Amino acid sequence: MKGRAVGIDLGTTNSVVAVIDRDGAPRILTTEEGSTMLPSLVWFSPQGPIVGEAAREGLEHSPDLTIFGAKRLLGRRFDHPEVRKLARVLPYELTEAPNGDTWIQLAAGRAVSPEEVSALILRELKRTAERFFREPVTRAVITVPAWYDAAQRQATKDAAQIAGLQVMRLLSEPTAAALGHGAHRGADRRYLVCDLGGGTFDVALVDVDAGVFEVLATTGDPFLGGDDVDRVLVENLVRDVRQSRGIDVSTDASAIEKLRLAAQLAKHELSDHATAKLQIPDLAQLPSGKHLEYVRMLRRDELELWTSPLVKRLEPPVKESLLRSSRQRDAIEEVLLVGGSTRMPVVRKELARMTGREPSVIANPEEVVAVGAALEVARLDGTIEGVLLIDVAARGLMMSRQGQDCEPVIAQSSVIPTREHKLLPTRHDDQVRVEFDLWEGESADPSANRHLGRYAVVDLPEAPGGDVLVLVEVTIDTDGVLRLGASELVSGDRVMIEQVYHAGLSRTDVARLVKQLAESQ
Amino acid sequence: MASRTLQVRCSSWEQVDIFTTRKLRKGKLLSMKVPFSAKTGMQVTIGLELPNEVVVAIEGVVQKSAPVEVDGKVDKSRTWIEIELTGFTDEVKARLKRLQRDAEDPETDPNIAAAHLVTPAPPVRRSQSQIGGDDLPADERELFQHLTAELRRLRQAAVHDVLGVPPNAGPELVRASWKDLIRRNHPDLVARRNAPAITHLAEELTILANRAYDRMRTSLVAEGRAATAGPTVASPAGWLVAFEDIKSDPANATPPKGSLRRFERPPTPQPVPPPPPPSAASGQGSEAYEGRARAMLALGDANAAREVLAAALVVYPRSKPLRSLYYVATALAAVLDGELMLATAQLETALAHHEQCSEASKMLEHIRRHGTAEADAMRRLFR
Repeated sequence: MKGRAVGIDLGTTNSVVAVIDRDGAPRILTTEEGSTMLPSLVWFSPQGPIVGEAAREGLEHSPDLTIFGAKRLLGRRFDHPEVRKLARVLPYELTEAPNGDTWIQLAAGRAVSPEEVSALILRELKRTAERFFREPVTRAVITVPAWYDAAQRQATKDAAQIAGLQVMRLLSEPTAAALGHGAHRGADRRYLVCDLGGGTFDVALVDVDAGVFEVLATTGDPFLGGDDVDRVLVENLVRDVRQSRGIDVSTDASAIEKLRLAAQLAKHELSDHATAKLQIPDLAQLPSGKHLEYVRMLRRDELELWTSPLVKRLEPPVKESLLRSSRQRDAIEEVLLVGGSTRMPVVRKELARMTGREPSVIANPEEVVAVGAALEVARLDGTIEGVLLIDVAARGLMMSRQGQDCEPVIAQSSVIPTREHKLLPTRHDDQVRVEFDLWEGESADPSANRHLGRYAVVDLPEAPGGDVLVLVEVTIDTDGVLRLGASELVSGDRVMIEQVYHAGLSRTDVARLVKQLAESQ
Repeated sequence: MASRTLQVRCSSWEQVDIFTTRKLRKGKLLSMKVPFSAKTGMQVTIGLELPNEVVVAIEGVVQKSAPVEVDGKVDKSRTWIEIELTGFTDEVKARLKRLQRDAEDPETDPNIAAAHLVTPAPPVRRSQSQIGGDDLPADERELFQHLTAELRRLRQAAVHDVLGVPPNAGPELVRASWKDLIRRNHPDLVARRNAPAITHLAEELTILANRAYDRMRTSLVAEGRAATAGPTVASPAGWLVAFEDIKSDPANATPPKGSLRRFERPPTPQPVPPPPPPSAASGQGSEAYEGRARAMLALGDANAAREVLAAALVVYPRSKPLRSLYYVATALAAVLDGELMLATAQLETALAHHEQCSEASKMLEHIRRHGTAEADAMRRLFR
């Protein structure tokens, strides 16, 4: 029997799980603490991993073992400049996996992949849903940013598999937001979906025409979100502490964490009020042994001044999304603001100014994406009819053979699912192995593209060079995940493809982790 | 014109087989005696009654008729006729086979039956905007066969035939036809059936449709007849259309001066051969990376260079020059940030990896003498 299915918004800071009731109404499931949002936090405590609200304690006790924002690291190369930037500011340590991925170093000799961290969060959401249904939950629709590349999508799928969830669909967040907003019921429109969450800012132009959803363009800033607002606040508060008290707390992880929590509260308060009071009774220990108490009034205009460099970064993605779809500003018929950070008045004001249109009020900007995911579950199960979501490949796909330029295989913004093939003749006599690389990007120069992996077609028949032709089929499936197949043209046989190097976890790793996590419950 | 119905009853599938194969001459001519007088050109409908009580109607026209003689006398009530079964098409044949297979063995591979289902009919254009599935067979087997046949047909079709549009169709028509096709065949529409084979077929059909759409879209854009955005394609706002009174021959067209310059790549200097010969691990490709990175370093863009080198190291993990250059780039970034300690450490690491790295030793020397001052001079090392 197939188990229950849920819609999951796996967020950078908070995750939400939703279902559609029998009467068709969306329902956000609450955690054990009674909250609709599960903080995407995992504390690797000595007693084992603790997920969600309870892990907040870890932020104070052991910030180096408490992982937040794993989504930003998912499927990312360690060398990526933004990861390098993150590595400097994160309280936990990042490390490079043997294949170049970013992993998290918990202790000497113990590293976890972001996939495992995400899997723990997904497992917690799964448990939440199982408490609600009193039945096993085995399937899920999980939302991902629209700009997620193939490696990041695969990493998300791997995380779900480790958590024991079969992914029914990876749904792009702007589409989910439009769906959750009820665009499939309303009139045909063109939406600009601005999603400013904890860690990412995503902009998408979504066209809804007779139940067909098409994402016309997606842009965004993968490193702009509420966390950055918090960070800027903390940086300024650290400076303030240094100036007013003469104490530098910038190297004190626990003090930074306390400042971060207080700043976060103040930030939320400033969405509705002009001032907020920040009070930390024991920020740090003074040389005298006394606790340093830190009290400060924070004004909204201060917050806006400090965050103005961040707010300025909202504009380029919006402009770019219009440019990419060769549309004018007035082509936008409705602006949807999604994500908790859009509650900040300055963000609303700025986006309204840019688009020339007052954004629609969404009662629950944090939950609408999860509602969309739950609706997608209902759609795939056939409960909701007449809706079709069409997605495109976010980046082009290129192929190269050793030392040669990349050749395009699948063009950018090809409608998915799609498949193309390449013919690879052998070059030497009795060559039984043909290697090729796959890249994401549009440049013929391999160094300008992102390396997805190196693959080898093996066990070819022995023949003079060039007589053996290998047909490699590259499929991007409905989830935007890559599949490879190869056949040898002379005999028509299917041939094996080996992964020489591949971004992300290997299949054996995933299988091992599935077992490991299942045993640990 | 008179029209009669003839009931042909088959009580076993074997009889059906005999009827459709041996009884028919040239596959469509049926001769029989009928208990009425018939003339040439008369319409006859054969009601073929099958063992499972299904009656299949087959249209036919009387081609020849002759009176029946019994003992030298003409029997007026009976006629010998030859009917051409015009309605006995491949589809009907396939349907019969399918029904027979269903009745005999529900587990038979439906592929065989489906092989007879190839219908050469052009795709019917659906104009309604409703999303489909309603005209798809509800029965799983029939759906499977329908999709298999559709796939077989579309695999052999030209790109415009897949979409069912003329080869020179405009963007709006291409888009509308593609949408219709997607609305009929998208795997999501059959996902609820939870049948992997059907989902797979639907996905294959969608892949075909998407590829055809992408190809037509690309050629429309190349012809300057359309503009794209995400999955959409639409007529351009007018500015791509050539005017007759303006010479639009691309060979003679001269781009406005300077307008294109912005989009050109910055000139990449030829890779400078590194003073010490590179180790055997580095091939031709790694040198291209090196050259690119050096050019970036010369421009002072240390971070971009690091990115390039990081990518290169994935492909050539054992290349010493690349590895050392990566540390040099990191050092240059640190120098530009004024972080001397970090820069020195990075340069020493570079030398540890590749002691012949002349840039690293020169930069180290430079830092010892001038500190962060004259960082520009350091950039010149890479020219």
